[in-house]
Amino acid sequence: MTETAIAAAALGKRFGRRGGWALRECTFRLPVGRVCAVVGPNGAGKSTLLAHAAALLAPTEGSLTVLGTHPAAARERIAYVAQGKPLYPQLSVADTLLLGRELNPARWDASVAERIVAAGDLDPKARVRSLSGGQRTRVALALALGKRPELLLLDEPMADLDPLARHELMGLLMAEAAQYGTTVVMSSHVVAELEGSCDYLLLIGGGRVRLAGDLDDLLAAHLLTTGPVRDLDPHTVVESRTTGRQLTALIRPRGPLPTDGGATAPSLEELLLAHLRNPDAPALVLDPARTPAQEPAA
Amino acid sequence: MTAVTVAGTPAAPPFATARAMLRLHRPALFLWTGVVLAALALMVWGYGWLAEPAAAAYQRLKACDYACSYDQDAYLTYKDVLRYASYLVTFLPLLVAAWAGATLTSRELESGTAQLAWTQSVTPTRWLAAKLLAPATLLTAGTSLLVLLHHLLWAEGRRADVLGWNDILIFQANGPTTVALTLFGLAAGALTGLLLRRSLAALAVTVAVTAAVGFGLNWFRGYFWPTLTVTAPLKDGPWFGGSVVSYGAVTSTGAHVPVPDCAQYWSAAKDCRAQLDKQHIVRFYSEMHPYSHYWPLQLTATALTLALTGLVVLLAFRVLERHTGTVAKGTAV
Repeated sequence: MTETAIAAAALGKRFGRRGGWALRECTFRLPVGRVCAVVGPNGAGKSTLLAHAAALLAPTEGSLTVLGTHPAAARERIAYVAQGKPLYPQLSVADTLLLGRELNPARWDASVAERIVAAGDLDPKARVRSLSGGQRTRVALALALGKRPELLLLDEPMADLDPLARHELMGLLMAEAAQYGTTVVMSSHVVAELEGSCDYLLLIGGGRVRLAGDLDDLLAAHLLTTGPVRDLDPHTVVESRTTGRQLTALIRPRGPLPTDGGATAPSLEELLLAHLRNPDAPALVLDPARTPAQEPAA
Repeated sequence: MTAVTVAGTPAAPPFATARAMLRLHRPALFLWTGVVLAALALMVWGYGWLAEPAAAAYQRLKACDYACSYDQDAYLTYKDVLRYASYLVTFLPLLVAAWAGATLTSRELESGTAQLAWTQSVTPTRWLAAKLLAPATLLTAGTSLLVLLHHLLWAEGRRADVLGWNDILIFQANGPTTVALTLFGLAAGALTGLLLRRSLAALAVTVAVTAAVGFGLNWFRGYFWPTLTVTAPLKDGPWFGGSVVSYGAVTSTGAHVPVPDCAQYWSAAKDCRAQLDKQHIVRFYSEMHPYSHYWPLQLTATALTLALTGLVVLLAFRVLERHTGTVAKGTAV
């Protein structure tokens, strides 16, 4: 079994000949068995990236391998839930699951799908068009997990759910993923839904990878420093703000820190916000297969 | 890692995919069954109960040289039923085109369910193949049945002399061209849906294209087989039997020239005898198809339509492959 779930090498996608680049120079590697959050502002290229992994789009340049092969060849082993959770509105819940069985004859696990639907107290005879947002998400997840995928791609799965449904479905998703060792890639711009469930982070901005790597490693590679205003060389400064004579900065330390100030580990939210506010900050790609961390020029 | 890896996974049984497609388009399946049954009922009624009395009534009228009473109701009812049946069968391809354009691929792309389908285990290519094959089978069966029955209905009442084989609607509804045009409508619906990705737009374009092909076939129908040249003496005017493609006048040297204006209506021909003599016109000719050309014409039109359909299907697969970027199956980058 391959150890890499997704590997992108200088992946670029342009829609139309004159269109702008939705993705450009994306290089990262996601190991299997991780729960990866794909974060970024609206229009950053998250959906485009996931659609490439789901073999729905072909790259304009560069390449992408999924589970060690061409995305189209990995079709059976992945599951994808698109933004808006498209389902056939005219089908009943039971017929939707039947569709999953018929279109995935070699992999379908009816018990998994039925358990997920049953846990939501859904009437199998109910038509999909009559379901609420949360119920639809549940059916979409049942269809995706019933395939017993090795890689599960979710495009903003919880975006239109109330906090209660979000919490419940997230729990369900994580339990199923943990049980089968499924690699999960989930795009989102809600930081709260990622904290505590994801252990890998991919931050995308303007079609480029800004941060990629193990969440703990990424957090450990940054420090939030406070102290008098000064030159922060040789450290890499992601963001700095001056309040009076005090300087607050998120840095990637490159040597000993000044002793006359405080330094704390940033929270996930602080890390993300600092990078989102400063799109020009240099990218950081931590590849577990390659040490030390490579830091390509921005 | 406990995820299952299935080496050399067997492909989805073709029937399962087709069954899934039929379930997705269940309302259309019911509608199609309804239309076929209604048309069938109409034509069985006409064939079994109306054609023979109508023919008998007409023959009786002819025997008394149109100077006696006859069963006019029987004649007119049969004529109406035949006409309705012709309309129904002739416009089936447009009905199918409308459905295929509006729902087959366009609605799936519009609502995003195509992404759902394409990320199951079946490839987009197989998805489209099933989308085309399942309805194509049912459409071929249904339309063939209706065309066959229409032919029987028309042939059974031929002695009633209601509508000739060369009537536009009768010609269309009587033969396999309609079956082929139905399949063309289906294929065109799939292709426009993939190109436009909007249900309503694809519906309009598919119906327009299918209608254009239907009209085109009718327009050029006369050229699908070599014509027969028949000539007629001046006193009879040009021959208009069978299916006439073109007609004109023959001069004493054997040259074909247009009919002079004054002789366009044969009753006026004797009034312009001087004009005809001046142009040395001795006879009229007609380039026409007799009934014996019916099958060659039908089959050529069918073959052309099927060739066009094949081209459209090929294009649809090309567009799909370009869209999803599915290079050769199983090739690693």
